[in-house]
Amino acid sequence: MLPGIWTSYALFLAVLIPLAAVGQVFGSLIRIIWKVVLPFAVSVFLIQGFLWTGGTPILHLGPISLKQEGLEFALTSSGRILIVVGTFIWFTLTTRPDTLMTSLAQRGFPAKLAYTIVATIQIVPRFQARAAAILDAQRARGLETEGSFRKRVKAIVPLVVPLILSSLVDVEERALAIEARGFSHPGVKTSLVEIPEAGWEKFARWTLLLAAAAMIGFRVWFEFSR
Amino acid sequence: MIDVDIDQLSFTYPSGVAALQEVTLYIGAGEGVAVVGQNGAGKTTLAKHLNGLLKPTSGSVRVGGKDTRRFSTAQMASWVGYVFQNPDDQLFQASVKAEVMFGPLNLGWEKKRVEEYAARAVEMVDLEKSLDHHPYDLSPGERRRVALAAVLAMDTPIVILDEPTTGQDFAGVELVGRVVEELKSRGKTVVAITHDIDFCAEHFERTIVMGGGRVLLDGPAREVLARADVLAESYVEPPQLIRLAARLELGSAPLTVEEFVAGLKRSWIEGKS
Amino acid sequence: MIRLDRVTYTYPGTSKPALRDVSLLIPEGQFCAVIGPNNAGKSTLAYAMAGFIPHFYRGALAGSVTVDGKDMRQTPLHELVLSVGLIMQNPFNQVSGTKFTVREEIAFGLENLGVPREKMVERVEEAMALVGIGDLAGRSPLALSGGQMQRVAIAAILAMQPKVLVLDEPTSQLDPIGSKEVFSVVSALVAERKTTVVMIEHKLEWVAEFADRVVALKGGEIIADGEAGRVLGEDPRVIEAVGQTRYSKAGLRARQEGLWPAGGRLPVTLEEAVEGFQEVRRMTEGGGRRMGID
Repeated sequence: MLPGIWTSYALFLAVLIPLAAVGQVFGSLIRIIWKVVLPFAVSVFLIQGFLWTGGTPILHLGPISLKQEGLEFALTSSGRILIVVGTFIWFTLTTRPDTLMTSLAQRGFPAKLAYTIVATIQIVPRFQARAAAILDAQRARGLETEGSFRKRVKAIVPLVVPLILSSLVDVEERALAIEARGFSHPGVKTSLVEIPEAGWEKFARWTLLLAAAAMIGFRVWFEFSR
Repeated sequence: MIDVDIDQLSFTYPSGVAALQEVTLYIGAGEGVAVVGQNGAGKTTLAKHLNGLLKPTSGSVRVGGKDTRRFSTAQMASWVGYVFQNPDDQLFQASVKAEVMFGPLNLGWEKKRVEEYAARAVEMVDLEKSLDHHPYDLSPGERRRVALAAVLAMDTPIVILDEPTTGQDFAGVELVGRVVEELKSRGKTVVAITHDIDFCAEHFERTIVMGGGRVLLDGPAREVLARADVLAESYVEPPQLIRLAARLELGSAPLTVEEFVAGLKRSWIEGKS
Repeated sequence: MIRLDRVTYTYPGTSKPALRDVSLLIPEGQFCAVIGPNNAGKSTLAYAMAGFIPHFYRGALAGSVTVDGKDMRQTPLHELVLSVGLIMQNPFNQVSGTKFTVREEIAFGLENLGVPREKMVERVEEAMALVGIGDLAGRSPLALSGGQMQRVAIAAILAMQPKVLVLDEPTSQLDPIGSKEVFSVVSALVAERKTTVVMIEHKLEWVAEFADRVVALKGGEIIADGEAGRVLGEDPRVIEAVGQTRYSKAGLRARQEGLWPAGGRLPVTLEEAVEGFQEVRRMTEGGGRRMGID
């Protein structure tokens, strides 16, 4: 894909970081990447670096040694993950789910599917609140939730089952409520909020799409011509 | 004697909200207490301190002499039963019987005792016919009764009821009233958090009014519920009969219909000047 | 406005009908309360009036339901929601879950109906004013109290301008302030806009004070239907099913002591009780004797 070990990192620093800064999500982005990508990078480094068969050793630690090829591989993989995951996180941090949904719906994305995605996001805090309430209720009935491993395992069913069952009970009511708001009304849906689109956005969108298509096409051709 | 001794209790949630401010009160064994006040006044926060679900930020809560900070909620479950508002936050077993037995089993009782107490609890809530049903096959009102039975089966000396009449129909409210009277006759301490001021007047001798995290009033129901001015501070209206008696200038604060009519007689026919 | 003609309905998978041979006619602009014990068929009645039976809850439906001239069976659900709005018990489940401000939440229904933007803005402002939640416009719908959330749900349905509003125990999860807010809003709607309201409620004192008409259901059948004072006062079947207000109980007990006219109607609201007892006092002061005795 991208030549060289360092291209990914260069891209990260040159493109993603400035974008994050402009979108004012720099802090959150770094925090999440730290939590998600770093553990991955460390494990790849350890596994590939030390367990690479053959190759050129560059550092000895007793019976095992760090191999150059392994290190290169780890760096390349981590770099790619950094770019891919980082971009995705940046996207979720800078895009409002409801705006995304409206935008997609206006372009023909099925409304019900868009709704499912966005509603799921908003459900999370409620789920957490309910899980906390269930924890309280079961502890008040004498359920031990801390301590030995065995105790914790026994606590799983009484904590998870009410969460699932009560959510299922809610689903019916929520579906009813959505219907009462005309959700299955046929025809085009309008939007209260206007999603402004500057001229350059359309140009950028098309350019990026074409560039992506070109890169995929090039890669495929490259593979086939070998 | 399992009493409740609360001393200068203050509690602030991690979010920074100061929910309780220097609350001091004492509840003796066997008392029937209703805690009233608008949402956000601190009623539920206070109740959750009684079984250790919340631990004081400052001050102390002692149940039966034991400091709640030194025990987990599960450990305190043998002294304090807490009936939550939403039964769906608890039900997970495949039968009403299993559900009601869950609490006592956690307390480590032997099977025979568990079955006996569970059967008695189910009887108290009129669900003997549904013993083998799956709780979710029952109506929401019946599920509330299952959750109530599940706590009653644990036979705790103190029982806390969180909004026991919300969403109940007439028969449901009557049943909860009967359960409260039965618990009181067995010497249990009953603490109810409730919006239903009429229910409060009819079943609880003592009323605590909370507002802004503080105790605004604490005393015999007859006295507290007549103080419309203080109740208004926590957006609580006096019970129907007390309001009627006030409008008719009977000079009494009746908690029941009997008392109201007695007050009527006293004021109009007998003690008239 | 609402007409049920010999409606019998059984939920799928059950054998006992939830509604049996129910016939009801509710004229435009009436505030009709529906009372009854749990499982009497009240929610079923609400769903049938809103068209969710038969369109959402399929099952065996006999008889006909017509609202605003539209036959429930023949008209598709998305058209029915233009005539009938449904408000349910749990405020949390009525939030669409996709909007981050109250204003947008209220517009959700209008967006689904394809209402043009300028009209939407107008209707949203109007709905918020009607319900008195203008100050909540920019807040997240999930960060509100139960009472506020319920009022948002009402505004969201009102924005769709239905002629009929059906409310299924809208105050059951609310504290007294929240309940009062809901009753006031609904009552204003009836008074000012001639909206037809059907409200299922357990709180008898509120029903007695606000409703023009009370229908009592039990076991899927109507056991009483009439003006609040008549239905809630002394009908033994109604009392057995839903109890009485404390005012009625006080009147009944007073009557036994000769302190309420033997043939007089029992009071169902505070005002009726006050008036009635003051009248009794005047008469006892005047004649010095108890009523109905001597």
